[in-house]
Amino acid sequence: MKNSINIKIGGHAGEGIKVSGLILTRSLTRLGYSTFSYSEYPSLIRGGHNTYQIQVGLHKVQACLRKLDILIALNQETIKLHQDELKKTSLVIYDPGEFKLPLGELKGKYLAIPLLKITNKAGGKPIMANMASLASVLTLLGIELNTFKDIIRKEFSKKGEDLVKANIEVGEAGKNYVLKNYFQEKLVLEKPKTNLKRMVLTGNEAIALGALAGGLQFYSAYPMTPATSILHYLASIENQTNIVVKQTEDEISAINMALGASFAGVLSMTATSGGGLCLMAEGISMAGVAEIPLVIVNSMRPGPALGMPTWTSQGDLQFVLHIGHDEFPRIIFTPGDAKEAFELTKLSFELAEKYQLPVFILVDKYLSESDFSTQLFKKDHPAKRFSMADNLGPKDEFYKRYKLTENGVSKRSIPGQKGGIHCCNSYEHDENGLGTEEGEMRIKMMDKRMKKMKLLEKEIKGVSLFGPKKAKLSLISWGSNKGVILEALKELKNVNFLHLSCVWPFPKKEVEEFIKTSEKCYSIEGNATGQLTSLIKQETGLTLQSVLKYDGRPFWVEEIIKKFTN
Amino acid sequence: MENSNKYLSHIKPTWCPGCGNFGIFTSLKNAFKKLDLDPSELAVVTDVGCSGNTADFLKTYVFHALHGRALPPAAGIKLANHKLKVVAIIGDGGCYGEGLGHYINLMRGNHDITVLVHDNSLYSLTTGQTSPTTPKGIKTKSSPNGVIEEPLNPLALALANSASFCARTYALDIKDQTNTIIKAISHSGFSLIDILQPCITFNKTQTIKWYQERVYKLKNRFKNKEEAFKETLRTDKLGTGIFWQEKRPAYHQECQTLKNEALVAKNIKNINLGELIDKLV
Ligand SMILES: Cc1ncc(C[n+]2csc(CCOP(=O)(O)OP(=O)(O)O)c2C)c(N)n1
Ligand code: SF4
Repeated sequence: MKNSINIKIGGHAGEGIKVSGLILTRSLTRLGYSTFSYSEYPSLIRGGHNTYQIQVGLHKVQACLRKLDILIALNQETIKLHQDELKKTSLVIYDPGEFKLPLGELKGKYLAIPLLKITNKAGGKPIMANMASLASVLTLLGIELNTFKDIIRKEFSKKGEDLVKANIEVGEAGKNYVLKNYFQEKLVLEKPKTNLKRMVLTGNEAIALGALAGGLQFYSAYPMTPATSILHYLASIENQTNIVVKQTEDEISAINMALGASFAGVLSMTATSGGGLCLMAEGISMAGVAEIPLVIVNSMRPGPALGMPTWTSQGDLQFVLHIGHDEFPRIIFTPGDAKEAFELTKLSFELAEKYQLPVFILVDKYLSESDFSTQLFKKDHPAKRFSMADNLGPKDEFYKRYKLTENGVSKRSIPGQKGGIHCCNSYEHDENGLGTEEGEMRIKMMDKRMKKMKLLEKEIKGVSLFGPKKAKLSLISWGSNKGVILEALKELKNVNFLHLSCVWPFPKKEVEEFIKTSEKCYSIEGNATGQLTSLIKQETGLTLQSVLKYDGRPFWVEEIIKKFTN
Repeated sequence: MENSNKYLSHIKPTWCPGCGNFGIFTSLKNAFKKLDLDPSELAVVTDVGCSGNTADFLKTYVFHALHGRALPPAAGIKLANHKLKVVAIIGDGGCYGEGLGHYINLMRGNHDITVLVHDNSLYSLTTGQTSPTTPKGIKTKSSPNGVIEEPLNPLALALANSASFCARTYALDIKDQTNTIIKAISHSGFSLIDILQPCITFNKTQTIKWYQERVYKLKNRFKNKEEAFKETLRTDKLGTGIFWQEKRPAYHQECQTLKNEALVAKNIKNINLGELIDKLV
């Protein structure tokens, strides 16, 4: 019996691979397994090769292995493309009625299941053949179809009872075919011992939920992969959650509209990817000078320029550290999984308001679009407002919205509020917000803003340590590499790992201590120059070696293991 | 006087003596006064330019936006709190050049904001380069051989793109201009006034005399858009007044989630994600 299995579905775009994959992920998660699913697809609507990969385990899984246990090949190309992910024991499910196996030596065992034929026979439409293949997989794993059927009901009930029934019939047919013909090939997955309830969601959904938990009221954005699904998700629940979601004419409008909304007192967010972030640069520096709270999500894809839209990258770290001209305080969170994405986005809303500055959620395609199974988030979130001036009195006089205070934070007033009149200014300004070019005031305002950085250092816990305090080998990384490295740690002995979930303010003390107590320390990053390594050098003076990857793919667990075992 | 002062900051306008911006500023504060607007319920968004410097002379809530970007925050403010009156002050450079995309798209949305374009056919704050409304052939610092492009037609664009209120005023005709601004602010939806504004320092072609020879008051309202459109194409004479006004729900009135209350009044004390989380199980 196995306690972890890696399944991949591959085929053309437009074959419903993602939907089917998610149904399988949800079914397995509901049964009590831990899952992690990752998909690859080209920037095309039809055609091109698509995959959806599920790692399922008895114990917490946080990344996919490269080597597959089961491959569902919806076309011949899939079998050719994924040969080096197959082992001798891998099972490959394919429909002999659809295509022939490629010539030459093939790795794995090939189970010919006439998916389309049995689908037709069960009265289903061709697209439902996917359900036959999913049911075949579950049956091979020794899993009953009850939960799978529940999920089918949930997914398709809106489209009518007939469709639900047909999909279930097709599933049954797939199961029966396997029981009859391939019973001996079973790859039985051990039954989970917990009935821990988990949810399945993408990193982007976690960000959206975190934003709502933090009090999100206004979201403006322009579509750009891999940030777009935040827009889709929030738009789909706009009415239910009573927020305003606005697709704007461009990213410049998205950020400037959000700035206006924030100035007027609503909690606002925008999201984009690198190219869109370039267009937002000036707006971000306005948030800096005018001290406007704003949460900005940047989901990275490989660049420069259009790069590779549907692939992953960690190439924007230094860009986000510096984006916007001149200097102003900012926060940059780099969550490593859905749970952190949720919690840190929620926290971003609090900190953006408390300290009146731009807060970045820096993620990547791998985190944004992968499906994480995670314990249910807390349901109730009594969000609060921060740093708002109240009881200003009835007068129509200027309010010192940018009052020079000891710690740099001055309370905000919002339009409509009596006694709070001020100018929210993109120019350098005085305490009322009126423009000034006077040198002394400029210094005072600059110092006021920069002072806030000191307060932030106390608010944020930017690191998590995994493994022993002292180890032979130490790894340091940020963002979505967390899951991959934690999976590798299951194999690597005497290794510890420091995950950075916040890179600015830089967790100097913790990083310094970690590196200084390590025997050998590497930074692991998805870019070509070691941008975290540079940041560490800049902040601590310490030099690390970097393990880098920039082919648009995430690190694979096996890659990390191999790199550090010899 | 007492009353219109309540909209003014302690900073006296810094425009060149005789600048058309003075006329617009006077009309604006007169309109505020006549409408009896509460300075605390008023959000003025200014662009960057000589026109945008108005920011410092007002004592209302002001958002001094980036260059070309006055309109998006104006729309954002209105969506955040549609109880406020929102007025944007912007130059022809900011509105028809740097921020043209916002102009066209926000008017299509009929966002309930009043947009006053101080159209002096130049980039004045940056000392007089050609702008999108500079007539062909004019020599400026950045076009010593004369501008090659044809000028942009802001009113024709507005008519073609569903602006629900389009007007033109002449900066120095304070009485008429005040009335038009009052109508624009009172209009529910996107209201545009393209204001013919002499820049006496840099614009040596479109002088006050030049305007006086061309400006005339439109008599009646146009019966249909086609007639109004025809008028926008005229260059020999420049009609002032309302070119087009129609009743259409404003963006916030059509926005499902703003039907009951202003967004800023939304309670965030008891957020429950239960239903959303259950859907993900
Ligand atoms: C992004 C950006 N580009 C350029 C400038 C420089 N700039 C300031 S005002 C202005 C043009 C002003 O022209 P207009 O909008 O017509 O206003 P006016 O000064 O004529 O009232 C320019 C180019 C700037 N502030 N920001
Ligand atoms: S430069 Fe022109 S627009 Fe600017 S203040 Fe002087 S006259 Fe007015």
